[in-house]
Amino acid sequence: MKVFFPILCLLLCAASVCAQEAPPQPVLSAVKHATDGHVWGALIFATNESEKLTGGKEPEHADLPKLHERLAKVFPYKHFEVLGQHRQDIFREYESWIVPSQDLFMKIDSKGPAENEGLNLHLQVWRRHQVLVKSDAILRKDSPLFIGGPPWKNGRLIFVVYLERT
Amino acid sequence: MKHPSEEQDIIRWIDGEMNESECATFEERLKLDPALATEAQKMRALSASLRSHLPAEIRVPHADYFNTQIEVRITQMALDEARSKHAATSWSAMFQWLTQPWFALVGAAALAVLGFFLLQPASPDDSESMILSSYTPNLRVQARTYHDHDADATVLMLDGLDAMPADKHISGVNIQRSEMEPELASTTMYDEKGAAVFMISHDSLGNPLISPEG
Amino acid sequence: MPAAASTDPGEVSDLDLVKRSQAGDTRAFDVLVTRYRGRIYAMTYHLIQNETEAWDLAQEAFIKAWRALPTFKHDAGFYTWLYRIAHNVSYDWLRKKKIQGDGEFDDERVEHRVAVGAEATPHGDLAPDTALRNAELGQRIQAAIATLSPEHRQVIVLREVEGLAYEEIAALIPCSLGTVMSRLFYARKKLQEQLHDVYETSL
Repeated sequence: MKVFFPILCLLLCAASVCAQEAPPQPVLSAVKHATDGHVWGALIFATNESEKLTGGKEPEHADLPKLHERLAKVFPYKHFEVLGQHRQDIFREYESWIVPSQDLFMKIDSKGPAENEGLNLHLQVWRRHQVLVKSDAILRKDSPLFIGGPPWKNGRLIFVVYLERT
Repeated sequence: MKHPSEEQDIIRWIDGEMNESECATFEERLKLDPALATEAQKMRALSASLRSHLPAEIRVPHADYFNTQIEVRITQMALDEARSKHAATSWSAMFQWLTQPWFALVGAAALAVLGFFLLQPASPDDSESMILSSYTPNLRVQARTYHDHDADATVLMLDGLDAMPADKHISGVNIQRSEMEPELASTTMYDEKGAAVFMISHDSLGNPLISPEG
Repeated sequence: MPAAASTDPGEVSDLDLVKRSQAGDTRAFDVLVTRYRGRIYAMTYHLIQNETEAWDLAQEAFIKAWRALPTFKHDAGFYTWLYRIAHNVSYDWLRKKKIQGDGEFDDERVEHRVAVGAEATPHGDLAPDTALRNAELGQRIQAAIATLSPEHRQVIVLREVEGLAYEEIAALIPCSLGTVMSRLFYARKKLQEQLHDVYETSL
């Protein structure tokens, strides 16, 4: 009994501490909007000067083997790092935003499924308050889209968009 | 709640859709019904204000580019039409050969081979992402699209973009989830830890506004 | 029906330009685009309340008009015919986007608004404070219209901007005269509620 009571107090204190440390769970929206797919978008910085890198990770994705090498085949740079990334459902009836960074981001409107598990899209690349390009595209699984963006610090910003699933 | 005919009377009076006798009758009613008179006059003032603040003509931004783009698309449509007409003519000419007596056998064999290939699974090209069309509002920017087979990726290259300032700090985030509020026309974005990072909404011109959250 | 631009004596008439366009003359069509782009853009902008999309839709309207030129029979004015195309393109876009317009007006959204109508035809010389009040009222009106549903926004634009008669509005939408009048009443009533502080003091 003498041992039991302190152990019980200890357990209660530990439980109390755990409850306080647990991050607040965000309230999930009760409404589920219809989706046509799910994409991964990443903003990548490419440069030949390693001292210009900002400490971001190497670009990689479980479904995109050798992403670094593939980027290097298109963009003539030695170093690539991920500045930001965003996983997003593509809504059927509303616009979807891919925002890996406030400085360069993308709007996607789904236009429905395409053959061979693809997705018909209208996409817009934005730089702050300015549209850089508007495009109609078909995105397919295992086939990423590389968008060559503006130059920065003697290198280049690149937007990668990849359809993870339909 | 108003009777529908009373609503119609107010609207027709404001918009000058009443004839002389109807107008006179309605204006007599207004004299006897101050509440109705106030409502009608306020709505008339609103209507006048709308007309003066909603211009019937607005200067088009990038007007020359507006026209140029229309011309480019019209020209493209004409080229596409010419190409498809040419293709149809070529097909027709090709099948004419097949009706010749001593080509009939060769033609039949060719069709058999064609049928064999059509039954095969879709070619690798059908599994690639594609850019169908692109358009850059800035005349100085050119968009080039192609599929890079070595990289196994579809490329949209934007040449001629202004560089981001070298001293600008471009930071990114890791967004794993977002919640949309259609009624507020806004979306809140959360990182891998569940913290709200951005909220995206629109200004009065419909352009995106991204505000840091938290 | 919406009035065509009045041509100067030296200017080529719409009829001549349309006939040349129908024969494939893209330069003639370019003149028509220049002549009517301001009005078409104004209409799409007032309906859509989004500068970028309104620009695209106005272009789309002209391109659809070019494609449909072989079917234009000169029984109505070219501008009337073009206006109908632009209206349908914009209204279809609006309905597809399912813009919510029946909710309460949210005052907090006003703070983010930037000056609108900056490219509009100037009102003429006004004293600075009057011009400022005008611009502010213009912003509030635009913001209030943006909260209307597509159907109510449509009648307001067709009546207050284009000055169409009820019969013309009914033919364009299409709907009955009674529906036109009741939508106009409701739309003005809603705008009045949102701008009540402006009109309380004006009487």
